[in-house]
Amino acid sequence: MKTLGLEFYKIKRRKVGLTMAAFLAAQFLWGLWALRSPTAGEQAQGFLSLLYALPVLDAVMVPPVMAILASRLSDIEHKGCTFKQLETLRSPGSLYHSKAVCGLIITAVMFALQFALFILLGYALGYQGHPDPAHYLLSYVLKLASNSSLFLMQLALSMFFANQMIPLVAGLCGSLIGLLLMFVKFYSFLPWGGNLNSTLVMMDWDSTTRISTYYYREYSPVELAAVAMIFVWIVIFYTAGRILFSRKEN
Amino acid sequence: MKTQFLIQTKNLTKQYGKIRCVNSIDLQVPQGSIYGFLGPNGAGKSTTLKMILGLAKPTAGSITLFGTPVNAQNRIRLLAETGSLIESPSYYGHLTGEENLHILQTLKGCPEKDIDQVLQIVRLDTARKKKVNHYSLGMKQRLGLASALLGFPRLLILDEPTNGLDPSGISEMRELICTLPSRYGITVVVSSHLLSEIDQMADHVGIIRKGALVFQDTLKSLHTHAKQQIALRTDRPQETLSLLHRGGLEAAPQEDGYVMLPVIEDDRIADLCRQICEQGIALYRIEKREKSLEDIFLSLTGKETSL
Repeated sequence: MKTLGLEFYKIKRRKVGLTMAAFLAAQFLWGLWALRSPTAGEQAQGFLSLLYALPVLDAVMVPPVMAILASRLSDIEHKGCTFKQLETLRSPGSLYHSKAVCGLIITAVMFALQFALFILLGYALGYQGHPDPAHYLLSYVLKLASNSSLFLMQLALSMFFANQMIPLVAGLCGSLIGLLLMFVKFYSFLPWGGNLNSTLVMMDWDSTTRISTYYYREYSPVELAAVAMIFVWIVIFYTAGRILFSRKEN
Repeated sequence: MKTQFLIQTKNLTKQYGKIRCVNSIDLQVPQGSIYGFLGPNGAGKSTTLKMILGLAKPTAGSITLFGTPVNAQNRIRLLAETGSLIESPSYYGHLTGEENLHILQTLKGCPEKDIDQVLQIVRLDTARKKKVNHYSLGMKQRLGLASALLGFPRLLILDEPTNGLDPSGISEMRELICTLPSRYGITVVVSSHLLSEIDQMADHVGIIRKGALVFQDTLKSLHTHAKQQIALRTDRPQETLSLLHRGGLEAAPQEDGYVMLPVIEDDRIADLCRQICEQGIALYRIEKREKSLEDIFLSLTGKETSL
């Protein structure tokens, strides 16, 4: 706990919150623009449609954000050559664990704020009814899991490489992969497909009436396996990152 | 009374690929000493110190700290009683000096008042609220030392602590290090590639060359290796040499025309001079020479190596 508390202390003045706020602001501005004048039909399905729109947006936008977050947490150590001092006071594994938990807490708060902002926006736009708590909670858990796997992958890279260009380029590539995956299938076993796997709502778009209909997704066994894969990635990235970091000599 | 060693290594070895950077080192650092770890650049000083601190894994050999063999389970517990400054100071540039020390104070679990104390010792108390990115190199180095001193550990390991400092900074750092054993009871291991630096600070010396420990003893003992000789210069060195040999002296010629002989009594020197003159040999000079500490260092570390 002490080490975890210090992780938050260390990122003082690093504007990590600002980075996260910029991401949320960008998504919110998109929301304001794209959802600005909903029809009655859109208002009826509003809260359902958010469970479709947000993971799709996240699939493209979150990989670089996770890369930035992991990089902000790690480069303070690389720049100041602090590992050689910290590792005489704590085991490398414990230092890595604290970084991971710190980043995951920030990620959890960021997505909680995202949901809160869009739910408020929904009410402001006159969406009918209320968000379904069970589906919203499940969506949040899956969103958090899939983006945690991305964060842990980025953290492994950022902690291992002193040159932060490598993980940042990986984050940008992840964004492109996320975009491409959307055009292939709405599920993927790749880590960047996690946001698509966790989309609980699907959409039918009628090109003649130009009306979108949203409905809860019925997962096929393959799609469920893809969801399970998100958790496998979490374990793989965390373990691999921790082992690689622990074995690295300063 | 048996000397207590705070650090003892046995056959400590580090190999990267086919290159053996540290070769079977048996280091012994006595309690309460300032142990100068001397060697040319690339000799293996930092690697050895990193292995002691658990920052590099030894290929072979063992390390004993405070009388306890170090292993993965007790490493952190044993290192809690040490402070270190390896190669360059570690710091968070976006935080102030005080905030940097607060992080380490929390990790070390030492009292908060130690922060004020160490800042005073390294004379950074007026710059405590300044971001470390705005510190000069000397100030960063002093902050590094303050970090190492936090909690006033039993053992301080300083790797080239005067690197990058100006002459007054070097002298200040040296003075500070010299006071640590007497004022705070801290045993200091200080590495350097500069003999003069170690000569002014240490009381025990270990000299490493190409990964091997070539000398380890007190500085006093190293000084006794400084051998005195008499040098004679005449117009006929060969004849002078024969004359000295006939007189039972172990004389040896030198490339510069001098003939070297061991230190002998004044009466004998006078007698020798008379004999040389009687032989019609012109005696130009009689000099007393001392093999300097630097000569010893060079002969131990190899002249071909850059210092």
